[in-house]
Amino acid sequence: MKHAMKPALALRGLARRFAAKTAVDGVDLEVAAGELFCLLGPSGCGKTTLLRLIGGYVAPDAGRIELAGNDITHVPLAERAIGMVFQSYALFPHLSARENIAFGLRARGRPRSECRQRADAMLERVGLDAAAGDRLPGRLSGGEQQRVALARALLVEPKLLLLDEPLASLDRRLREVMRHELKDLQRRTGVTTIMVTHDQEDALFLADRVGVMMNGRLLQVGSPEALYRRPERSEVARFLGDANLLTVRSVDASAVSTTGALSIRSADLPDAQPGRMVMLRPEDLRLSDPGDGRPPNGTIVSSTFMGADGQIVVLAADGNSLLVRIRQAELPVARDGQAVHVSSTPGASWLIPEIPTGRAAVPSVHASA
Amino acid sequence: MQAPERRDRGLRRLLAWPALLFVAVFFFVPIGLLMRVSVYEGGGRSGFGIGGMYTPGSWSTDSYRNLLGDGYFGELLLFTLRFGMSAAAISVLLGFGLALLIVRLPPTLRLLALCAVFLPKLANVLVIVYGLVLLLGDFGPVNSLLAPLRGDGLPLPLLHNFTGALIGEVYLILPYAVLLLVATLDRIPALLLPAARGLGAGAFETFRRITLPLCLPGLATTFLLCLIFGIGAYVAPAILGSPDEFTLSIDIQRQTFENLNWPRAAAESVMMLLCVGALCAGYGIGVAGVRRLAR
Repeated sequence: MKHAMKPALALRGLARRFAAKTAVDGVDLEVAAGELFCLLGPSGCGKTTLLRLIGGYVAPDAGRIELAGNDITHVPLAERAIGMVFQSYALFPHLSARENIAFGLRARGRPRSECRQRADAMLERVGLDAAAGDRLPGRLSGGEQQRVALARALLVEPKLLLLDEPLASLDRRLREVMRHELKDLQRRTGVTTIMVTHDQEDALFLADRVGVMMNGRLLQVGSPEALYRRPERSEVARFLGDANLLTVRSVDASAVSTTGALSIRSADLPDAQPGRMVMLRPEDLRLSDPGDGRPPNGTIVSSTFMGADGQIVVLAADGNSLLVRIRQAELPVARDGQAVHVSSTPGASWLIPEIPTGRAAVPSVHASA
Repeated sequence: MQAPERRDRGLRRLLAWPALLFVAVFFFVPIGLLMRVSVYEGGGRSGFGIGGMYTPGSWSTDSYRNLLGDGYFGELLLFTLRFGMSAAAISVLLGFGLALLIVRLPPTLRLLALCAVFLPKLANVLVIVYGLVLLLGDFGPVNSLLAPLRGDGLPLPLLHNFTGALIGEVYLILPYAVLLLVATLDRIPALLLPAARGLGAGAFETFRRITLPLCLPGLATTFLLCLIFGIGAYVAPAILGSPDEFTLSIDIQRQTFENLNWPRAAAESVMMLLCVGALCAGYGIGVAGVRRLAR
């Protein structure tokens, strides 16, 4: 990133091992002030450890953490002024919601009346009423507990807010409500936020930028759209949404031929070389009846009703399978066992910049997250 | 045909019978006998054919009237309570400190520490108490370390007094206190303490506002258990304590085997049972009250 201003948070070569496993393996990252950054990755990829390193709950083996330009790598937990919402919320069970929220201010020695007043204001801000403030965490619903945890972290006016899987323990409906509220609250407070999630929907919806993490490393950092449309590595393409990952077989002046018996305009893939990988999202593939110079190159194996869309698996002529997503209205056309012509939407294919090393061209075609 | 769950319940009841039978034969029957003996007339001519322990077939409340009438029993009870409370309080305090240390240890060290805490329980109580006699005596290692600190060079009186009895009793109770308090501390969710620190609370503040309040029920239970042990103390005060001050248990033993006054011994035992029962009831009422307040 080229910012004239110093980044709100900078990580330089941050690393941490646990016994035999490297949880975080040399992470470099800069987060701008006011940004909502999402760390996305499968469970066990090191994203929660990275969050705890930043928060000061775990000490790094190597690297630096800078908050607003100051090195805080060795600043003790209690002095970091970083707010954290744990996945389990970690609310104090013997203190009322209000006392939980005011805890940080009380710890800073603020008078009781001021704490109460500001806690009440914060309760309102996260959408809880005063009656909820009197209750113990055990008597609050999951959504209310999460609001309390969020309010508790925000009341100390942290320079950085860390959220560990904030939506993971909520049911689907509440999750969507909280997703909106979280985004709204973050915009209004303007607090720089790093959120960890394994849920790509949360990441794509909430984040200004997303970092995809695997095996302790950040594979790619970018806007949700960039990650979805222009993944730099096949792992990123596979993890974010469904992807058909095809290997280039041959290139000529007019067309690039790939596994999955597809032929793509050369103009779309100017750098294509045999062995490189091409990504096509399921919605970038089209089905049509064979005929008039469109030879059949696949057979429908299954079609699934998915609400607005229909999802179709096509067995390509070369034995690979392709995942195709079409509008529900078009689904009745597709019958299992029907021979079809599969083609890609012009301009939609993406050549993955990463050059496969050593191993044989990846034969698998579609991967679903 | 019976529904499977009903058959299960029947089987479970059957499995409970041996334990129930054991408790009935070895707990309730003796307590019934104890109560019966406490209302015999004393000083009769028979017992188990030895004579002089009680008058069979008689009914009398003399032993209770004597107990409540003379100041001797009141003093005895007060001393026993004071001794039990002191032993329990010291055990809980020391045990809490030790438990706080043990829960912070890595798993292997923690296991070793818990083994070390419980090791003395593998030795016979008499071996331990006579060992303490050697340690605490005027020329024992404790005094040879501490005596120079006293200006006059005289040994510290650590044996055959209240202090000695207390040291012995705490030694015997402490492992239970540590074990219970480690379990109590373990029940605090792991993230609460770092969460408090992350909100800016110092180590002491975190202890005062999070750890301590969450441990209060466990501390109360531990104190009650230690108190029950302490009130029933016999070996430590008998061997390490003063011959002039003794606990109820020691007096019961004397009434039984020296004075051969079985109704009196039985009445004292019943009073002790009532005392422990009252403490447990008080604890239960207290817990219920706190629960209602917390709601």
